[in-house]
Amino acid sequence: MRTYERPVLLARAIASVQNQSFSDWELIIVNNGGNPAEVEAVVSVARTTTGTSKITVLHLPERVGMEEASNQGLRATSSEYFAIHDDDDSWRPTFLETAVRTFTEHHDAAAVLMGVTRVHETFKGGKVWPEFHEKFPLDDSRLTYERLIGGNTFPPIAALFRRSILDAVGYFDSSLPVLGDWEFNLRAVRHGGFVFFPERLANYHTRTPESDRAAGNSITVGEDLHLRVKKELQARWDSEMEPHGVSKGQYSRDVEAEVAIAEAKLQAEIAEAQRAQSQRSTIRRLAGAVRDPKRAIRAAVHQVRVLAKRR
Amino acid sequence: MSATDVLDAHPKVTVLTVDFFDTMVTRRVAQPTHVFAVIEEELVSQHGSRWRGVAVERVHAEHRARVAAAATDALRDITIDEIADQLAELMKLNQAERDLFVRSEKATEIALAQPVPAGAAMVNEALSRGIRVLIVSDNYMPTSHLVAMAHAAGYGWVTDDDVLVSCEHGGFKHNGVLWNVALGVAGVPASQILHIGDDHEADQVQPSKLGIATHIDTRMRRSHRDMRNTSPDVLPLSLIEATQRDAMYDSNWDVAHALGDGLVGMVVAAQIADVKNVLRQRDLAGIHFAARDGWLAHQVWNKLRESDVSLPEASYTAFSRSVIWRASLTELTPANVGRFIGDDEELTVARLERRVGCSLSSLYRPDELIDAQASRAVLLENDREVVAAAQQLRQRVLGYFEKQGLLKPGHHVVVDLGWTGSTIADMADLITDTTNGATTIEARLTGMYWDAIPNRMRVSMHGYAMSEFESLDNNLRLLGVIKLLEALVTAPHGSVVDFADAAQDFQPMLVETQPELSAYEQLIGKVGQSAITSALALLQGTHASGVTAEDITGTELWAAIMQVGHTPRPEEVEALRIVRHVTSIDHEGEGTPLVAAAPASPKSFRQEQLPGLYDELIHGHWMQGSLRSWWSADGTRWIADEIGNIWPSTKVQWVPAP
Repeated sequence: MRTYERPVLLARAIASVQNQSFSDWELIIVNNGGNPAEVEAVVSVARTTTGTSKITVLHLPERVGMEEASNQGLRATSSEYFAIHDDDDSWRPTFLETAVRTFTEHHDAAAVLMGVTRVHETFKGGKVWPEFHEKFPLDDSRLTYERLIGGNTFPPIAALFRRSILDAVGYFDSSLPVLGDWEFNLRAVRHGGFVFFPERLANYHTRTPESDRAAGNSITVGEDLHLRVKKELQARWDSEMEPHGVSKGQYSRDVEAEVAIAEAKLQAEIAEAQRAQSQRSTIRRLAGAVRDPKRAIRAAVHQVRVLAKRR
Repeated sequence: MSATDVLDAHPKVTVLTVDFFDTMVTRRVAQPTHVFAVIEEELVSQHGSRWRGVAVERVHAEHRARVAAAATDALRDITIDEIADQLAELMKLNQAERDLFVRSEKATEIALAQPVPAGAAMVNEALSRGIRVLIVSDNYMPTSHLVAMAHAAGYGWVTDDDVLVSCEHGGFKHNGVLWNVALGVAGVPASQILHIGDDHEADQVQPSKLGIATHIDTRMRRSHRDMRNTSPDVLPLSLIEATQRDAMYDSNWDVAHALGDGLVGMVVAAQIADVKNVLRQRDLAGIHFAARDGWLAHQVWNKLRESDVSLPEASYTAFSRSVIWRASLTELTPANVGRFIGDDEELTVARLERRVGCSLSSLYRPDELIDAQASRAVLLENDREVVAAAQQLRQRVLGYFEKQGLLKPGHHVVVDLGWTGSTIADMADLITDTTNGATTIEARLTGMYWDAIPNRMRVSMHGYAMSEFESLDNNLRLLGVIKLLEALVTAPHGSVVDFADAAQDFQPMLVETQPELSAYEQLIGKVGQSAITSALALLQGTHASGVTAEDITGTELWAAIMQVGHTPRPEEVEALRIVRHVTSIDHEGEGTPLVAAAPASPKSFRQEQLPGLYDELIHGHWMQGSLRSWWSADGTRWIADEIGNIWPSTKVQWVPAP
């Protein structure tokens, strides 16, 4: 669990691990250059219920990249499976139990992925206010090399990896400031399959623009950086050839473009469906007006008032 | 009326027609759709998580099949095959999986079948008098299945010739078609037929049109709630409520007993089971049930200790938001003075003095009503006295905690209902400061919602049934039922507002209010007694339903809270109207009603007022109970509907589709 000066979120993230129905876990918290006392205060409260031995804290004296922080955490444990649990995300209580059970049913899998709920929340003044939540788009088709090469398709909180994958493909690329999880996933998925379990047991929390800046997600506060690093990675891959004769970099750009077109088409279809839904809703409202004219008049008056206010 | 009386009243009857489900045969669950939950549990257990969510999808599939059938023939009923086809489409089942589900549904229905006492008595009496019995049912299952269920329920004489089912005859009872078929099959004039059933339209209005005499008995429907809320999680409460339905069959429905034996008993059993689980995992210096929400659990704990010497002694400790906060006060400022006085409160200086525990100098008369702003100004003018009184209170609170064993070095567990954990976090700060960290506190709560997050930095907390990791909808639903749970799981005494000094052994000073005393006398006390009995039985494995504490995990308890709190039955809302919630810091006043009154003039109520109304409902009342109450009245239904449209989490369906 990587953390940097977000003690409130850290407390929640630790509790999400402590709440797991699967009890044979070990938590390595990597304090990535933040105030040690702040982290220790949160951890000492958490340790009152799960003891000292289950939670280890690594205080890094200076802030390093996210992937280097992950690697230091991973080197501090030898557990059979591992997950990268960011300090702002959370799991439902059966995440680990379900993921470990799924691994026992899929001996060749490199990772088990759970369905994800995206929670949009506002973090202001040390308090968290959930605004709304939605299903994060994830399914089997998004977990193949052929799809992942176009861009990452899931947040780290969704995955539990088999540790042996580190021996096979290596650790996270410490040189990457962001997108290290994508680059790692591409190596991992080529070595062993990713198995998807659709129940939404992972919560991917993202902060709304109204949130205090320090609480922002790397993805929402650093979109430019993500784009730049992605291009750099694709350029790096231009020298690697895919089996079908196209460079890995070009393949990535091609799939990225295909996905963008497919997503745009999907958005258009959704918009069309919403328009049709709106038409049906109008018909229903008219039918309702025939049944209950007084209520229809009240609604119409209210609508006029709302419009008048907007002007 | 007994079976004999009913048949004696119709001496010319030669044919008795009988509705099947909930008149002649019922299931060992509280409502028909809970059969699907049993199926889901079995399929997931035998065939894996592929089947998770099938119960609620089965409800959707039936609805879709009915809509599809009505598009071509509005009169006819659907068949189980049409439902299975829709289910296969919804869940992308292959043919083998589709057939597996149908087999499983039939087998489960047969396994859960049991006779309805009055129906069985009527049928047996009719048969003994030589009266022919003909089963007439609106259902999608074939005749052969109803025969098998009848046999399983003890009606061994039933053959295919004794059954008329709507899906095989082109029409329902409730649209009259099946009654014409029944007349032909009976072969006697309508005046010689008596029908018994449980549905007003299908079993009374329609047969009466043909001259058939009827007898209606709706007792088996008393355990039904919203049919769409079905998942394996609801089964423990469903089994308990089915047992209640059968036990109260010959009497009026006892709401207090049903609530106590069901939901409240489960909450208390879960509180105890949770503590026992913690006790197995770590050494505890103390276990403390919080007044007042832990009163029932403390009673049960002590009863368990009579037969289980391994259970340590546990305290029943009085603390409240107001005393803990006052005891922690070191400075009175414009920023924190608001916590003494609600924005809408009007107070006298005399009441203010009781609230802060010291004399206040002021230009107002002691009995003069002043608004919140003026009240706050009075406190700020007397800040030194207020803080000094708070420091004295702090000493009394700590004296009391010491007496309760809460300052003993080591790890302590405090059991409470919830919800933000702020009071326990404040209490933990107070104790940890005093003992220099030698004492640590862990909060075991029934539920927590998102406000709990910052408090996790101060105290370790666990929400048994619900935590802030749940969806936003469930957080809102929890907020909507909190007042109900606090009212049901409470003690026969008032809230603590102060503590006596050392000479009087730091006794808690409790404030009784007439509204609470009255509600306790009339209803809540009975709920509590049934809850104690139920929780003990659940924990000892002797509950009549067969449910045990092991069956009540967090998800099952959450389901029970939602079944009752979110989809209450009308009689539950009606009974709970007498309860008022006293929330003021000094625990004085009349409080607010648990079930909110609808807007006085619903016709002139404006949509722009809805957000304010929603806020008032969710923060000040039992939201769902209030909404269900408004739904049942023609004039206010539109307001409840609109709230449901704007805030979908308030709608009756709380089990989401997968």
